[in-house]
Amino acid sequence: MPYERVLMRNVGVPNSTSLATYQASGGYAGAARALQMKPEELVELVKKANLRGRGGAGFPAGVKWSFLPPDRKVTYLCVNADESEPPTFSNRVLMEHDPHMLLEGVLIAGYATRTNVAYIYMRGEFTELFHIMQRAVDEAYAAGYFGRNILGSGYDLECYIHRGAGAYVCGEETGLIESLEGKRGWPRIKPPFPAVQGVFGQPTVVNNVETLACLPHILTRGLDWWLSLGTENSKGTKMYCISGPVNRPGCYEAPLGLSCRELIYSPEFGGGMRDGKKVKAVFPGGISMGVLRGDVFPRAADGSVDPSRDYDELDCRLDFDDVRRYDLLGLGTAAAVVVPEDADIRDVLVNVARFFAEESCGQCTQCREGTSWMYKIARRIRAGAGRPEDLDLLVEVTGNMGMMPGLSICGLPDGAAWPIRTLVQKFRAEFERHLAAQEPDAAARLIRQTNPAAWELPIWAGRRRPPTAGTMPELHRAGR
Amino acid sequence: MPKIIIDGREVECRAGISVLQAALEAGWDIPHYCYHPGLSVVASCRLCLMEMKMPHPQTGEVGWAPKLFPACQTPVKDGMEVRFDSPRVRASQAATLEYYLLNHPLDCPVCDKAGECCLQDYSERFGRPTSRMVEEKHKNPKKDIGPHTLLYQDRCVLCTRCVRFCDEIAGTGELRVVNRGSRAEIDVFPGLPLANELQGNVVDLCPVGALLSKDFLFRQRVWFLRSVRSVSPADSSGATIWIDCNSQGVHRVRPRFNPRVNQWWLSDEARFGWKYILRDDRLNEPRLRRGGVWEPIRWDELPEVLRYRFGRIATSDHGAGTAAVLSPMMSCEEAWLLARFVRGLAPQATLVRGYVPVRGTDKTFGTGFVIRAEKCPNRRGIERIIAHSGGNTLEFDEFIAAAGEGRFKAVYLVGGYPEEWIAKEHHKALAGVELLVVHDLFGSLLDELATVRIPAASFAEREGCFMNCDGLVQPFEQAIEPLEGVRSDGQFFYELVGGLPGADGLFRAAAVRAAMAAELPEFAEPYVPPDLPPHAH
Amino acid sequence: MSWPTIDRNTLPEERLGPGLSEAVRQKIRTFFGRYPTRRAALLPALHIAQDALGYISLRAMREIAELLEVPPSAVMDVVTFYTHFWTHPKGRKVITVCRSLSCELMGGREVLAALKDKLGIDEHGTTPDGEYSLVTEECLAQCDHAPCLLINEKVYRRVKVEDLDRILADPDNDKLEIPRSDLFDAPRNEAD
Repeated sequence: MPYERVLMRNVGVPNSTSLATYQASGGYAGAARALQMKPEELVELVKKANLRGRGGAGFPAGVKWSFLPPDRKVTYLCVNADESEPPTFSNRVLMEHDPHMLLEGVLIAGYATRTNVAYIYMRGEFTELFHIMQRAVDEAYAAGYFGRNILGSGYDLECYIHRGAGAYVCGEETGLIESLEGKRGWPRIKPPFPAVQGVFGQPTVVNNVETLACLPHILTRGLDWWLSLGTENSKGTKMYCISGPVNRPGCYEAPLGLSCRELIYSPEFGGGMRDGKKVKAVFPGGISMGVLRGDVFPRAADGSVDPSRDYDELDCRLDFDDVRRYDLLGLGTAAAVVVPEDADIRDVLVNVARFFAEESCGQCTQCREGTSWMYKIARRIRAGAGRPEDLDLLVEVTGNMGMMPGLSICGLPDGAAWPIRTLVQKFRAEFERHLAAQEPDAAARLIRQTNPAAWELPIWAGRRRPPTAGTMPELHRAGR
Repeated sequence: MPKIIIDGREVECRAGISVLQAALEAGWDIPHYCYHPGLSVVASCRLCLMEMKMPHPQTGEVGWAPKLFPACQTPVKDGMEVRFDSPRVRASQAATLEYYLLNHPLDCPVCDKAGECCLQDYSERFGRPTSRMVEEKHKNPKKDIGPHTLLYQDRCVLCTRCVRFCDEIAGTGELRVVNRGSRAEIDVFPGLPLANELQGNVVDLCPVGALLSKDFLFRQRVWFLRSVRSVSPADSSGATIWIDCNSQGVHRVRPRFNPRVNQWWLSDEARFGWKYILRDDRLNEPRLRRGGVWEPIRWDELPEVLRYRFGRIATSDHGAGTAAVLSPMMSCEEAWLLARFVRGLAPQATLVRGYVPVRGTDKTFGTGFVIRAEKCPNRRGIERIIAHSGGNTLEFDEFIAAAGEGRFKAVYLVGGYPEEWIAKEHHKALAGVELLVVHDLFGSLLDELATVRIPAASFAEREGCFMNCDGLVQPFEQAIEPLEGVRSDGQFFYELVGGLPGADGLFRAAAVRAAMAAELPEFAEPYVPPDLPPHAH
Repeated sequence: MSWPTIDRNTLPEERLGPGLSEAVRQKIRTFFGRYPTRRAALLPALHIAQDALGYISLRAMREIAELLEVPPSAVMDVVTFYTHFWTHPKGRKVITVCRSLSCELMGGREVLAALKDKLGIDEHGTTPDGEYSLVTEECLAQCDHAPCLLINEKVYRRVKVEDLDRILADPDNDKLEIPRSDLFDAPRNEAD
């Protein structure tokens, strides 16, 4: 049953990026309606719609807007178009085919939050996309949708595109704010929250592209329609991405709550695996959220959900809540990448570890040193010189980084810890098979070559495993 | 004063500070790198994490929250309960310290900071006993970032204290973080080295041995040093310092925390400008011109000789032709004693406020640190003593003019300046003085005119007190024994005056201050700044 | 002193590199109106400077610092943080190959290896004729058309090893088919 394409309705339509095409299909009607309402009414409406952020954190947008101090003089709106989470491309598809939907959303959100200036922070790698967006912004200005006295409402809004330059951490809210201010993108400590003291010291709202693109539809189609889509806590429509060796990689729209199996196998979405292979693993929410076991594993006989057993987990529903039952960090960007049964899981581990080691900003100790250490361990395992204790070490290091909130300033180390830990835990058997197939003393030889003292120190005499007592994962297991 | 509970003990603390600062002040040992009370809070080192009791978001029941909070970022609130001594906190500390050591070169045997290194201390107290790092370490280079400072980047823990210091306190922003992630380093823009006038403070701030002072590099192991409380004579601000010394002499000068004067900072001028006390050409024996012969004289003979000679000249005119030039490098006690000696023999003697060296104008940095233009520590103290003594007084220029006119027959001239201060016109003006006693650190043009030349002791070799430009009286202690052949000025003036009634023959600054306080109440209770909490750094 | 150290005290003239023309500076000034602080114009200024000079030279960093009224060290801080900015000269065309998970699963590593082989350079290297430089980047957000690469601004989708010869041979392989905005371009057709 094909779901209605709401956000993606103009994808595939000829000349879809032009204002004329957008207006012909009813574009900017939502903005016109919004400008008739009072900003406070708009905020209430969005709160009722329970529009949760589509950028990865899932924070309700209306609640975020209501944190702005009522007596503020200046407000900024930052559009987070820094889509760097592998393998997400839904924002790109939206901006590539329908930039005006985003701009209408910016206008609505700007009006609701009484924004003076909106900055669209686009990552530097969106090279062609920048030109498309800039043309759209110019068209919008020419038609009077930005600038002064928009649609005669008396509301002024300036909209500028700010190009980033290649940093994943600038997708983090305060990292984006710092980057916008012309500094290195080091996330700030919170409090103070961006709603109170954000970019240039003023109240700021940071919203994702897709979140804003939902706004015109909530206004034109109405609250009841929006609330009819999705599951209990996750309302509305979502753009799902699927990539990897599936028959139809791409971006598809469906209400929240689609199951992973459907996303991969349904002919309307992924269309099944290429060459009929089975799925070894899938990262359903972008690599930061963690991994699910695929159908190379048997299904649970009683249908129960137990992440500690080697069962097929593809029945996971992709909304904000069900994913947690499968030991995932969250829904994330709902962008799935599928690992086929013939891929080496060690390559996947190295790729994921490398991403976070390269993109860590370097502020917090655990993230800076931990991601780099995990990458080095993953590389050594890939090179055929791993040890069984390395797998335990990886799990422990991730426990020090992400198991408990508050250990770091931003969420990157949590996003680094989850995939690495779930990969090692859920595919432990395969890792151990690879380790068993290594040359017998490959690890010892490589380690001795790198660090002679590692084995010669008398402190190691008689000990095969390094001590783990008193570590965070150990405490977590003991329930303390 | 809010009351909070730390580790089950109630602590009363100041309002408006962070929990970390409150815990440190109450004596707790909490590991921290990036936090410094004088700099902005970044909460990036993640070592000071604590557990806090909070109401449950749904039930409202107060219990230990299942997350850790950075203590440096959390302000104290009356009634809050936190703990640092819990398994979770200890596990987090141990893990974080393990991370710091992953890429650390572990060159304690050749690192200057050993003995006062926070990484050593915290690893020992909070860290893991073994390392599990068997990968290749990432090696950062060593850099020469300024005329006085080296940066051994491989030891750096990226606490960014130095970066924030240069930005906020010095206002110049030379140091920055470059690169990203585990490749991040501290660096300066090539060609714009770390050269502001406060840059020596980054070496103190650095908790590990990454930033090093070229002056102190490989000089001395810190456990062979003892620290003495002193006051810097470099300028009139009265910055309090620690003199790190041992039997071999002074090795290093560091700032001593002083909430009313220099907080935690010290100008480079004060930090490195004490080397003049080590010069080869320091005077080291008293000399007397007797019968045309310039011969040495013993210290114990000097007081008699001076009393006799000054007394003889003063009898004729009650001392109208006698003058004592009190240098603003002298301590208040010494000035007071010398003034008593001279006025005792010659009631009409003129007291002169000595030469005040001034260079440039007062310079204010960043958040308010000031380097004063007046390069002497005790002008106000001297002025106070002179004002209190009353009678004939003169400024130094007036004195030189008057001496040139031949008004003075006996002059006791005290110097003690780090640089040459006697010019040709001084020499010319004082040429006619019959009895010229020069009490100075180094020789000068006056050597051929002086009747008596007495070697002075440097500030590190004396004890006393200085009054700073704002009138604050601060005591300083003796760090090292005076140079061989030199006697401390205080001791000498004490003997000149004949000691104090009821006291023995040794000069003790505190006793002299107590005697001064009878007439000059400012000296009753000199200001001694509080020490930093034991585990703050 | 005892260990050899990198000297930051002096900067020989030859290391400074090219500076910015007045036209480029004027273009940078047009961004000041978009932000309440001058410092916020740093990223746009660096994009323009890199377009003008090919990389961000030390002299350009100094000049941008002067223009934006920030210390040069702050500019250096930002330039080294972001992967897009080069601090040494690059070729006329930069080939950016995606190295993330989707592209790797779809054969991205083979494409990268083939490129290295054909061009004869390694990552961050430049061909001797100054035509191509090669870098890898994390997820270019083209995962539905994996593996992908960029040549300057142009996106190449579903790249196969067999296509590479054709792509490299095309002299216009970095020309966009869609209309461009010159907002972040350095001014063209200037005297200097």
